Amino acid sequence: MRRALLAAGLVCTLILLAGCGQSQGRQSTLHGASDQTRKIIHLWWGMLAAAAVVFAGALVLLAIAYRRRTKEGLPGIGEDEEVSTGLVVAFGIVIPVVCLIVLFFIANIGVVNATSAPKPGQTKMSISVVGHQWFWEVRYPGTTAVTANEIHIPVKTPVEVRLTSADVIHSFWVPELNKKVDMLPGHPNSLELYADKVGVYRGQCAEFCGLQHAHMSMAVYADPPAKYRAWLANMARPLAPPASPQAKAGEQVFLTQQCESCHTIRGTAAKGLIGPDLTHLQTRATLAALTIPNTKGYLGSWIRDPQHIKPGNKMPGLNLTDLQFQQLLAFLEGLK
Amino acid sequence: MTIALPPEALRRVRRLERVWEERQGVLGWITTTDHKRIGILYLFTSLLFFGAGGVEALLIRTQLIAPNQSTLSPAAFDTTMTMHGVTMIFLFVIPISTGAFGNYLVPLMIGARDMAFPRLNAFSYWVFLGSGLFIYTGVFTGHGPNAGWFDYVPLASRTYNPGPAIDFYALGLIFNAISSTAAAINFIVTIFKMRAPGMSLNRMPLFCYAFLAVSFALVFALPALSVDCVFLELDRRLGFSFFAPGRGGDVLLWQHLFWIFGHPEVYIIILPAFGIATSIIPTFTRRRMVAFPMVALAEILVAFIGFGVWAHHMFAVGLSTITTVYFAAASMIVVIPSAIQLFAWLTTLVTGRPIFKTPLLWIIGFIVFFIIGGLSGIMFAAIPFDQQLTDTYFVVAHFHFIIFGAAVFPLLGGLYYWFPKVTGRMYHEGMGKLSFWLTFVGSALTFFPMHIVGLLGMPRRQYTYPAGVGWDSYNLFETIGAYILAAGLVLLVVNLVVSYFRGAVAEADPFGGATLEWSTSSPPPPYNYAVIPTVSSAYPMWDVEDRQEDVRKLNRGEMVLDEGHETPASTVLDANFDEILDMPSDSPWPIVTALMITGIFAMILTGHLVAMCVFLALFAASLAGWHGVEPQEA
Amino acid sequence: MGVPRSMEATYDSAAARVDRGRLAMPNGWWGAALFIATELTLFGCLIATYFYLRFNNPHWPPPGVEHPKVALPLILTAILVSTTVPIFFAVRAARAGNARLTWLLFFVAVLVQGGYFGIQVHEFLSDLDKMSPHDSAYASIYFTLIGAHHAHVVVGIAIELWVLWKLFGGLTNYRMIGVRVAAFYWYFVSFLAVAVVLTQIYPSL
Repeated sequence: MRRALLAAGLVCTLILLAGCGQSQGRQSTLHGASDQTRKIIHLWWGMLAAAAVVFAGALVLLAIAYRRRTKEGLPGIGEDEEVSTGLVVAFGIVIPVVCLIVLFFIANIGVVNATSAPKPGQTKMSISVVGHQWFWEVRYPGTTAVTANEIHIPVKTPVEVRLTSADVIHSFWVPELNKKVDMLPGHPNSLELYADKVGVYRGQCAEFCGLQHAHMSMAVYADPPAKYRAWLANMARPLAPPASPQAKAGEQVFLTQQCESCHTIRGTAAKGLIGPDLTHLQTRATLAALTIPNTKGYLGSWIRDPQHIKPGNKMPGLNLTDLQFQQLLAFLEGLK
Repeated sequence: MTIALPPEALRRVRRLERVWEERQGVLGWITTTDHKRIGILYLFTSLLFFGAGGVEALLIRTQLIAPNQSTLSPAAFDTTMTMHGVTMIFLFVIPISTGAFGNYLVPLMIGARDMAFPRLNAFSYWVFLGSGLFIYTGVFTGHGPNAGWFDYVPLASRTYNPGPAIDFYALGLIFNAISSTAAAINFIVTIFKMRAPGMSLNRMPLFCYAFLAVSFALVFALPALSVDCVFLELDRRLGFSFFAPGRGGDVLLWQHLFWIFGHPEVYIIILPAFGIATSIIPTFTRRRMVAFPMVALAEILVAFIGFGVWAHHMFAVGLSTITTVYFAAASMIVVIPSAIQLFAWLTTLVTGRPIFKTPLLWIIGFIVFFIIGGLSGIMFAAIPFDQQLTDTYFVVAHFHFIIFGAAVFPLLGGLYYWFPKVTGRMYHEGMGKLSFWLTFVGSALTFFPMHIVGLLGMPRRQYTYPAGVGWDSYNLFETIGAYILAAGLVLLVVNLVVSYFRGAVAEADPFGGATLEWSTSSPPPPYNYAVIPTVSSAYPMWDVEDRQEDVRKLNRGEMVLDEGHETPASTVLDANFDEILDMPSDSPWPIVTALMITGIFAMILTGHLVAMCVFLALFAASLAGWHGVEPQEA
Repeated sequence: MGVPRSMEATYDSAAARVDRGRLAMPNGWWGAALFIATELTLFGCLIATYFYLRFNNPHWPPPGVEHPKVALPLILTAILVSTTVPIFFAVRAARAGNARLTWLLFFVAVLVQGGYFGIQVHEFLSDLDKMSPHDSAYASIYFTLIGAHHAHVVVGIAIELWVLWKLFGGLTNYRMIGVRVAAFYWYFVSFLAVAVVLTQIYPSL
């Protein structure tokens, strides 16, 4: 018996520790970078402590039942139906009611207020995110800035994020910054994003949205204010004309080989709305909603065979000659 | 069990055997209206679907054993995870609890000879089988439902899901609902009207209270799902606008109607387990249940309050604060009846003298997992916590602890507990205990790490996940656990199959149970009771004088009801003897009617409206055949 | 034993005697009551959907769709509800053992209900000419709610026709329960008719 318990304890510890040491690409609800998430984390630890007490108590009762299995009645008191029924009332009604009322006030009156959506106009800055199968369209109202999958906000600034969907239900979730809010066609929602530390925060779609739900992640960059302003100014600019002849030829490939039917590049004739805006593609660290890094090699693989990397996504493989392919890559490398 | 009966008594028993004789062979099983045979049909069919759902689970876990695996393509994964949910809920757990356990045991426990509507009972089974085959036809023709078991629109609309997969889902669930609705109506009338005279409501076993609550919940919850599925089919097939935002419709309409059904559904799933637990605990602790009236009331309250909490599945959709706070408060209130039952069970275990045989081990496992699942459920009633952890593996952990740990464990314990009664053989105790421990450890290892990986941000319903986010080792543990769990279940099946052929012969009452089924032979005769039992408490088998009175009644010819295929009906509250009913015997109409309904649904699916009308007419004709021959003319 | 073997009541007066002697409602009545409970819930969901969509839409009916008629639907509903009168007396007659009077009263009810149904089909088709469920959630719920009610009227007429057919052979305990169930079903359909028509004409009220 004792050896079994020891083994169980060892396995449990191993399991609990299995996640330690992972900080790269973290998306954890237990690391808070905002007031909202920190409050939720405290709530969680408090609830876990209370739950552990209840569970331990039940295990003690089961142990007593086992140890006293040849004796009738309660320990010490013996057989007394009234006391037994009283215990059921105390532990089944009174104590749970008290605990639940406390939890209700702390969580659903207290913490709820901290995490609630901002009222329109309450924050100085607002951005809009539209969910698509399977990427995030990000706009900065008041500017012409448009990007995809990587959101930049200034650190220590409350930002209202307005959320909707272009197709099915998605859910916007950056666990280290705030709760998740669903993105529904016909029902605009909003959420406050606030990061109190410079950094990159990983998020993911949290409502099953079809074949590539698993590859619909996003990154929120909380930048120092100057860096943010520089980034935004760059985003708002349309593309400068391509410099090299190869890039110019690549632009022609882009405009004649179906790309422009789905993608927009501001400053060119490409105005497609089905896929993400590519105007400043090279400012993004990843492609395909954080599925692959944004390097020449990966970009090339993606264009050659998008279905191999993200099967079921809406981009078809293109039949390009090797020359066209090199020209296109040269053009895309200039989308800074 | 051979007791020397005096000649008059023997003559009466022989007459009962003749009157209740059942047709043998395949034809006998196809036309049966005997609740015990129907229970066994349900048992095997739902266990088959359990296997299918289990294979689906192992496929999912194998795909997720490590990042970026390709056991399942994204499309195959989506169908597998959808069908895992649909199969386990609609084709396994509900049919096995209501159809197998409920059907077999409720008439026996109330001292009746059959359900109130035996042909409707058979009909429920054939419709269940038909609906399961209907949905799996979709799977095997490459059109398996794939939008998740709750099938949110717009993903399930024709725009984003143009093939027939969702039609298999929506029509299949309406089809399945016919079976459960009929079964629920049958249980309520049986429990109200067919109890042995003298079994007033306060003397009815807690198992029957659980089934009464389940049945009322089914009656009021299923229509919401059916209406939702009708709206979906009208939108998909006829271009209606219920869920179209641009035309005045609303995507949230689907969610509200779905969860108005869906939340009571989870109480429907758990209540039979509560009923089984409250049967096994008194037997193995050798004492009455503590606070019996409170437990009975709690079973009913769980079902009732469960109708008021549905939007706690929608805390992230942007409902108003006051709406979310109301639903969170209601979700906390529903905890109380469960807490009452939990402490009643624990107190009964402490104050009794428990014998830790296999059936009770499963109940202990149930209690442990129910507490964990219940506590994580309470955490979800804290709105901001829900809004972080909903749609992650934390909620997957929660509901698997409840559905697998708390709903299925008592079913497995019940399989062992009533195995001797149903088969006349004892299972192997050592293998039984081993099957329990394997399944318990496997479940813990599969589902506990899911709490952690959910806290670490892993969303649910992903066909793969990236390396380097911290989820890899937990997923590995979970997959290993799943295979251990599967081994435990395989061992359980092996134990029961081998014991069926080679187990020791079982007596009528091997465990000293309190309820009436233990007074019959193992297995019971087709007529269940030679004498309708005398009842004066909720623990009839422990009232020795009443059981002796039954023997005297048989000798006197009192309450034997052997002039036809007869059983008594009594009044609802006090069970005063009210009429002697003639029960129907074997009939082809239930399966024929079920076949006609299958035709109707198949023709709706394929869009052949003329053929659908033909089946509708044939359906009406088979109803006429069903009601055409009255029992006294048969 | 004073407790009857109900199925032995195979002629009119015997069936009436068994019916009067019962303390509790017969099983068939309970089954019908629960089935009606599921149908009531179904219509509850349909009507709740109507008002849910209504409060989700600024204009109801949407622009371009005319407001529903008030007078004709109310009159038709009153006619349907009035058939509960002959049905009520039909049950009284059955419980008194008078199979022939039961038959006549049900027959009168079926004629009126059939006429009602015919007019409603005409109204339904004419409404479809004026608005389409393809265009609005309003029309979608309008036609689904009303169509569901008409389907229940058809089923009710079918049940009555069956009862009329069986009553040719006189009353038995089984048919007595059938008569009571048919009546119960029609009380339910009449109640539904009122709830549905009030919902239907609500935008014009």
